[in-house]
Amino acid sequence: MLLVAFSLTSFHSGAASVNDFAAANSAINSAFLAMHNAERSGGNVTVLVNELNTAIALVEKAQAENSTNPVQALADLQNATGIAMQVTNQSSSIAKAGASATQVRKTSSIGWAIVIIVAAVLVYLYGSRLYRRAWLYLYRNHVVEPSG
Amino acid sequence: MDKEVGTIALVLITILALFVALQPLIPSNSQTFSELGVLGPNQTIANYPTSLVTGQHFLLYGYVGNHEGTAYYYKVMIKIGDQSTEISNSTSASAPLIATYSHVLDNNQSWIFPIDLSLNKTGTNLKLIFELWTFNFTTSSFDYNGLWAQLYVNVTK
Repeated sequence: MLLVAFSLTSFHSGAASVNDFAAANSAINSAFLAMHNAERSGGNVTVLVNELNTAIALVEKAQAENSTNPVQALADLQNATGIAMQVTNQSSSIAKAGASATQVRKTSSIGWAIVIIVAAVLVYLYGSRLYRRAWLYLYRNHVVEPSG
Repeated sequence: MDKEVGTIALVLITILALFVALQPLIPSNSQTFSELGVLGPNQTIANYPTSLVTGQHFLLYGYVGNHEGTAYYYKVMIKIGDQSTEISNSTSASAPLIATYSHVLDNNQSWIFPIDLSLNKTGTNLKLIFELWTFNFTTSSFDYNGLWAQLYVNVTK
């Protein structure tokens, strides 16, 4: 029994199994979904995209080398899973930052729109009066001379 | 200035300024799309292999572009079919898969990657099929995107 358990453990620690690949791919899929949600919240996900591509490249490398260097393949898969989980964790903070930045942008847009409308109303109501006062101020020293 | 002209100018300037101020709140309605291309060994649309020997390695380059308005997770699936293999924009080819390449692309980003292949199947006018699959956000699996390309090759022993 112990011998069987030991041989199974040593086999698993040596080669990457289908389950190892499935776990790594599942972690990458989850990370991508988390990243997508962060982007929808307005977050900048460029860094996360690069990290995910590193994880995907590691899985592809593991697939290629699993028959020749299974120990390295397993290490690459574990590394890929770790990176994917890191992306998932980072996504929530990027989503929060994105959501607050979007809120600031929306608020400032609405603020500017209100300022423009108020300014337009003021110009409409008092514009001509202000224009005449400004004209009189500018030409206060103008000497009127008869023409011709 | 005439009062009516001034009022109209004021209204027009106000509308223009409002449009600029509210621009971040207006959703973009530009058409979204993805791109798939297959390039020859010099990363050009030339010098594609036509005659190969089984086991012979040959190099191509794949090109994928993302203009979907958001980051996309792509998978390029490469299959080997024969003259009877059918492929369309709605149905992927039912043929053996020989390689896959995956990548996440940010919006307005493109990806060129080397494709190192060798074929073990012999035949005339074999179809080397390239399909673009994208990650479906709702089902969490890859769906055939409808974009494909193919190369005809003759493979001998």
